[in-house]
Amino acid sequence: MREESAIPIAFKGISLLSLAILLVPVFIVVLAGLNSGDYLTFPPEGLSLRWIQAFLTSPVFLSAYGVSFMIALVSTLISTVIGTMAAIYLTRSQSRTSSILRGFFMLPIVLPGVVLGLALYVFYVTTGIGLARTMPGLIIGHVIVTCPFVIATVTAALVGFDRSLEEAARSLGASPFTAFRLVTLKIIGPAISAGTIFAFIVSFGQFEVTLFLSTPNLQTLPIAMYVSMRYQFEPTAAAAGIFAIALVILSTVLTSRLVNLKRTFGG
Amino acid sequence: MAIAQTGTMTQTEKRKGSTAAFQDFRLWWLVIPAFLVFLVFFVIPTASLFGLAFNKSVAGVIALNSQITFDNFVRIFTRASYYESILRSIWISAIVGAACLFFGYPLAYVIAKTVKPSRATLLMILVLSSMQLDMVIRMYGLMVLLGDNGLINGFLLRVGAITTPLPLMYNVFGVIVGLVQITLPFMVLSLIGIIKAIHPSLEEAARSLGASRWHAFVTIVLPLSMPGILAGTLLVFALSISSYVVPALMGGWKVMVLPIHIYQQIAEVGRWQFGAAIAVVLFVTSIAAVAIYHQAAVRTSGGRT
Repeated sequence: MREESAIPIAFKGISLLSLAILLVPVFIVVLAGLNSGDYLTFPPEGLSLRWIQAFLTSPVFLSAYGVSFMIALVSTLISTVIGTMAAIYLTRSQSRTSSILRGFFMLPIVLPGVVLGLALYVFYVTTGIGLARTMPGLIIGHVIVTCPFVIATVTAALVGFDRSLEEAARSLGASPFTAFRLVTLKIIGPAISAGTIFAFIVSFGQFEVTLFLSTPNLQTLPIAMYVSMRYQFEPTAAAAGIFAIALVILSTVLTSRLVNLKRTFGG
Repeated sequence: MAIAQTGTMTQTEKRKGSTAAFQDFRLWWLVIPAFLVFLVFFVIPTASLFGLAFNKSVAGVIALNSQITFDNFVRIFTRASYYESILRSIWISAIVGAACLFFGYPLAYVIAKTVKPSRATLLMILVLSSMQLDMVIRMYGLMVLLGDNGLINGFLLRVGAITTPLPLMYNVFGVIVGLVQITLPFMVLSLIGIIKAIHPSLEEAARSLGASRWHAFVTIVLPLSMPGILAGTLLVFALSISSYVVPALMGGWKVMVLPIHIYQQIAEVGRWQFGAAIAVVLFVTSIAAVAIYHQAAVRTSGGRT
């Protein structure tokens, strides 16, 4: 308590403003989606579920939600597996190549999403490998964007990991793989699940890379919302947003549960 | 504990050294899948896109050929509409970086210094969950708030404070607000760890030597958090300059920045080579700005960062 009161009052004030910047737009989306009028105005007209109903009966938004979910699921699965494998190599190998590779794997974060999406689209079209305007083509784009997040989170956990624990298991007779599975994987497990959920959310909300790769019949939720906001701006998009918000809250709760459970079991 | 460790030091060290070398050799296959995916779907496409930028621009044609020309780049740097966009992209991102530092540092400080674990966790969750929501959804909220008949203008008109709606959106201001909303969490997250790592006793020592709270903060805490400030600002700058969706929605296609030009050239005009050239300029600008800023920051902080 003593330290908390040591926080300058100006900082507390600005912090409240910052939290408002972060959260007010989200709050407004929820209000707009539950609003009874055609547009959220001041003062609000009243609550209704008509836009939620519009979302649940909209073929465009529902299928976009499904497409987003599917792409996020598959690309997360792929990047978790290959990203975790790569992270293990990166932290275990002392060679110069591994430090170069570590930087290499972070490059997609630096490269603007529009540039990456455009590059992939040009690549798909010019090589004619049949990935242009397809689900696998989109998934590959999302793997490239989500993989750095998995690699970064798992690497961070492995760097702080005490190798002597694994050595202890080895000296007690465990095979390298058993030691890894029973000791290392248990300890870095929470980091892997955090990386997984992070990747899922990055993929679910991905807009810029998807921009060039999606087509009208293969729209993700962000693209469908963007199109709706560009041409008609109706609250169905906000209702779709509410369902996306629900998914994020669910995954946040899930992560904290998962990590806490693991901790309880571990400690 | 310490004695036991020194006792076995040489043996463990020896074994560690040999297993490390051994595992190096055996573990390389772990990195192969990720490496191949990145090579085929990241390095090759990006390299060919950059190659395409040096081909003659022909509407509707994408094929890469070996005839190198700098026409696309000459066009970008001689036409005011393009080089002005480069400058606009840079200064908008710089303002966003500064604004995020202004709003983000205090929040990161509060989170880092909050003692009660549940309260600190709650604040963290608020920051994280706002970041996890996709950008288009958050822009929807901002558009409802800032539009001509949005909540803010609606309120002000009703109260009688204004007679015509304030232009809060579809201009540079709207773009900056949108970008700050998107990038603020990245700033906060870059700073929390750094501020937490500054030992409170350093500040207390300064206080006990007679420094005011503010003086202790400016001379001790602020310089020690420079690495986080640097990392956060760079991240925010890079994210801002490469954003398409925020300028598109909040600027209403009136605020021309580089990502908007890229999309227009390709989706509307079909000039792939020219679009690719703008993409190269965007990438180089972003990298160059980051490098210059980094150099300047290293110099001013005496090479400590």
